Amino acid sequence: MKTFRCLTAPATRWLGLFVLLSLLLSACAAPAAAPTSGDQPAAPTAGEQAGAPAVGGEVSREDTLVFAADQTDIITLDPAVAYEFGGILPAGNMYETLVSFNPGDPGVLVPVLATSWDVADDGDMWKLTFNLDPNAKFASGNPVTAEDVAFSWGRAIDINKSPAFLLIDVCQIAKENVTAVDAATLELKLPKTVSPQVCLAVLTFTTAAVVEKAALEPNMGSDMGESWLNDHSAGSGPYVLNKWDRSVNVTLDVNPTYWGGTVPAMKRVIIQNTPELANLQAAIETGDADIAQDLGSEQAAALEGNPDLTLVRGLSTLLVYVGMNATKAPLDNPDVREAIRYAINYDDIITLLGGNAELVQEIIPIGFLGHTGNNPFTQDIAKAKELLAKAGVAEGTEINFIVPTATAPGGVEWSTVAAKIQSDVAQIGLTLNIQQLQQSELLNIYRAQGGELVMINWGPDFPDPDGNVTPFANYDAKSLAFRNDWNDPKAIEMSKQAAIELDPAKRTELYAELVDYVMHNGPYIMLYQPTRIFGVRNNVEGFMYDPNDTPTTSFWLISKK
Amino acid sequence: MLAASPRQLFWRRFRKETTALIGLVVIIAFFLVAVFAPVLSPYDPLGQHIPSSLAAPGGEHWFGADKLGRDIFSRIAYGARISLLSGVAVITLAGLFGSFVGMFAGYAGGWMDESLMRVTDIFFAFPSLILAMAIAGALGPSLQNALIAVAVVTWPVYARLVRGQVLVLREREFVQAARSVGATNSLIIRRHLFPNTLSPLLVQASFDMGGVILAVAGLSFIGFGAQPPMPEWGVMISEGRNYITTHWWLTFFPAISMLFAVAGFNLVGDGLRDVLDPRLRK
Amino acid sequence: MARFILRRLAGLVFVLLGVSLLTFFLAQIVPVDPAATALGSNAREEQIVAYRQQLGLDQPPPVQYLNYVQRLLRGDLGQSIRTRRPVIDDLIDYLPATIELSLAAMLVAVLIGVPLGMLASLRRNSWLDAGARLFALVGGSMPIFYIGLLALGIFYRQLRWLPGPGRLDATMQPPTQITGLFTVDALLTGNWPVLGNALSHLLLPALVLGYFSAAVLLRMTRSSMLEMMGQDYVRTARAKGLGEQIIVGRHVFKNALPPILTTVGITFGSLLSGAVLTETIFSWPGLGRYATTSVTTLDYPAVMGVTLVAAFIYPLVNTVVDIGYSVIDPRIRVN
Repeated sequence: MKTFRCLTAPATRWLGLFVLLSLLLSACAAPAAAPTSGDQPAAPTAGEQAGAPAVGGEVSREDTLVFAADQTDIITLDPAVAYEFGGILPAGNMYETLVSFNPGDPGVLVPVLATSWDVADDGDMWKLTFNLDPNAKFASGNPVTAEDVAFSWGRAIDINKSPAFLLIDVCQIAKENVTAVDAATLELKLPKTVSPQVCLAVLTFTTAAVVEKAALEPNMGSDMGESWLNDHSAGSGPYVLNKWDRSVNVTLDVNPTYWGGTVPAMKRVIIQNTPELANLQAAIETGDADIAQDLGSEQAAALEGNPDLTLVRGLSTLLVYVGMNATKAPLDNPDVREAIRYAINYDDIITLLGGNAELVQEIIPIGFLGHTGNNPFTQDIAKAKELLAKAGVAEGTEINFIVPTATAPGGVEWSTVAAKIQSDVAQIGLTLNIQQLQQSELLNIYRAQGGELVMINWGPDFPDPDGNVTPFANYDAKSLAFRNDWNDPKAIEMSKQAAIELDPAKRTELYAELVDYVMHNGPYIMLYQPTRIFGVRNNVEGFMYDPNDTPTTSFWLISKK
Repeated sequence: MLAASPRQLFWRRFRKETTALIGLVVIIAFFLVAVFAPVLSPYDPLGQHIPSSLAAPGGEHWFGADKLGRDIFSRIAYGARISLLSGVAVITLAGLFGSFVGMFAGYAGGWMDESLMRVTDIFFAFPSLILAMAIAGALGPSLQNALIAVAVVTWPVYARLVRGQVLVLREREFVQAARSVGATNSLIIRRHLFPNTLSPLLVQASFDMGGVILAVAGLSFIGFGAQPPMPEWGVMISEGRNYITTHWWLTFFPAISMLFAVAGFNLVGDGLRDVLDPRLRK
Repeated sequence: MARFILRRLAGLVFVLLGVSLLTFFLAQIVPVDPAATALGSNAREEQIVAYRQQLGLDQPPPVQYLNYVQRLLRGDLGQSIRTRRPVIDDLIDYLPATIELSLAAMLVAVLIGVPLGMLASLRRNSWLDAGARLFALVGGSMPIFYIGLLALGIFYRQLRWLPGPGRLDATMQPPTQITGLFTVDALLTGNWPVLGNALSHLLLPALVLGYFSAAVLLRMTRSSMLEMMGQDYVRTARAKGLGEQIIVGRHVFKNALPPILTTVGITFGSLLSGAVLTETIFSWPGLGRYATTSVTTLDYPAVMGVTLVAAFIYPLVNTVVDIGYSVIDPRIRVN
């Protein structure tokens, strides 16, 4: 038995104990006050009160869609802040943008909150004019006005969290260049260094989604309303937030007065956090889940032929790659980087993935303008060794290799792919020391240029080749080229030129040249473009995975039979 | 007839503990596997062979192969090295440091003893795995840091144990006698106190071997320990978790190896305690 | 009596101060700048500097520690970097799940460990004894995370007897919150479907987590009972011709109880450790998983908070056990 012999206790310590005790007691008692019951409406606000739909209550299993996915990355539901797949999925179903890509119809901009838009040359700037749909209204019943749009974009710029660079840097939007001309007309001015087409594509992303000013303003708090938006929604989309049960699930309820056409069939959508692949498989097998997102290759193989469900495969727009820090020895030598590219057996990696990936060795994914389809690297140990010898790198040189934990896109563990690369590279006499880090931690190191070899994936934020090329090639964009400390004036110049080129044929040509340049001179080993595998129960209809759209799964299209 | 030496006496008693003997045999077997891993392993534990990916146990691969076609039996054998070495390293580190602190506290007594024991209280307050995880996380994930973390949460046990022993022994006749003839403190500690705390230390250490192996594997399982492709058992279970329904052998063999190794140490610990602790001897 | 309790509580305060110092030290050695992490990748240098000032990170460590303790005394555990909420709010969300799981596991451990241990001691060296000891040996030697994976694989995925991970089915709404323990809340509000669902979700993780503690309790009960049965008064009682049931019930078990109770208290610590692994496998939204995620993302305000609370619960439980004890048995107080 433990004994405590401390005999004296100054009064101050008692105070401390008292406070700590009450801390624990309050920890147990406080939740009683929090509105967590599903029977309560999602706290109507000043703006929402009027025609506020009754949210919550009992919804039958037939009217409920359970969407199982690894939601570990979710940080926020605030569209201005969300930059993780886990947060964008629900946010994209609750909030709307002015324009969007039609699910399943890549490359064609369609109206959402804006009925039409116009791009005009305004001297030293581009002038974009958006005409808002007069029918558009928030879930609260209030109309969506140009004022709301200007407020939302300004808020995203002021809050300046991860995705804000899309508006600030890619579109170069300044708050004073967004003007609400009248309730239904919004004017946006862009500098000529920005392509209006690229910017329109950016505006389909959740960061540019519209939140209701009247609902949010009274709840801004000290964080511009971010924490409030984690427990409430203020959008115009087909779904509203019922509740976010941290690390368990996000429950969305239908917006019964949805303005944009028919009301969705699924009255409730539960995005259930299911991080273990084996549990994901079980959830779809048992019918606990109606749709399972990102099954592993082994799970997919096991589910093949299951009469209760269909496997839906969709090529994502992600690229899995290894970044090589271009200023850290021996990777600062382009020959060493080329040697490592020749050391890897790419086909083996595709085999490991059970074929759920396409071999892509360039920085523009399949399906995008400018994709060349060239895959020049195949394992060639002799050539790789020759390049290493030319660079004068000693046998047994050690390089740190950081990789994420959990499962890589395509459905095998990151560590498995890493071990494969390690053993390939060992054949040319380089020793890779693998360290596994949670993705957010890995990104912290990577963003601070702290990695040597870093394996990770990249997904474009908007479906335009510029969404990949600028990050990969332009050091000044502070993205991937910066993270790998690859400051190449030629690549920077070419990427800038291609971004603002308006003629598609000319643009394709420019990209082809740049892609080839980065392939051999850049700091990347491009590995593959993964296929995402969804398990869909047979009674579910209308499910579609569109990698180019935000959100990638539109719940309002889904129904059950 | 000469009186039996303490060692002979000990062995005579220990031999009667059947389960402890079984445990001892298991442990020796694991040590042999660890030492002769290169000879016993039919394959390189890191050698990949994609065509054998997920091969079932059989003639080709006795315990099957993992996703990268690595031979699980070979990995288990090399993994025995890692686990046993981890256990020995942590217990040596924690045991030496803890014993030193305990010896010092017990012998010095007074406020020194008081404050050192309060420090151990602080460490005892933490659920061990949570503290170890926090330490390992702060230091960065690697096997070495995981061992440091586990050692940090283990040493107070030894400090308490040794201190308790010293407090009892300090008053015993032979220590008093030594002191009265003018033996120095260090001599008393080395000659009299330390040897007499050895048996409880041994009992504790053999229990802790199992505990440390489990703790290191647990840390590795959640990503704070050994890094791939190291054939550490916890890492192997973690890497195989996605295959547990489709390819059971990826996780089963490392788990069962761990079960046997840990159980071996626990059985030996039981036996040692029964033999060495006179209070429980029936 | 009061003096004893006061002394124990004073010791507790001392321990907590030490715990806060240790957690503070841990946060110091983390190679991450909390300000830069919290502000994200777009932050400008002057923003980071301002934020560091706001958090007091520009102060020397001793001053930072004093500020930290001051904040602690106000019940302020700081702001989580990852969730961007006050750590105390996160803990309030996650603590009830862990308490529910730990209590259930403790119940499992006591209900399995104590009776099995008694049976084993009464039928010493029988097959039953051997079986019980084997059960305890495996429980004490098996990696808990494998048992968890295996149990889910068998009972959820293969046999489908029990529901999957989590505290409730996805489609089930949690009961109106009173204690945060779903089973208790459902019982209090008479919400029978939720009660049944919560219980069925609780069963597997509680069994897995409780197994290790059950093994410890079984061994303790068995050896404690055996020791008491060898005592003189038991022989006397036997000689007096008392029935075996009375002897075991009135003499042996009663006297074997104190060490068993102590073990229950001590086991609680290993339950919290085991919860880290069990919660990960069962997607159980408790402190253990919060701790794991916080450590992996190097969210040290959160890690400090969770270790502090864990290091608070455990000595508190032990202090309560000790005090409870001294009420039963005044001799302990002399110490």
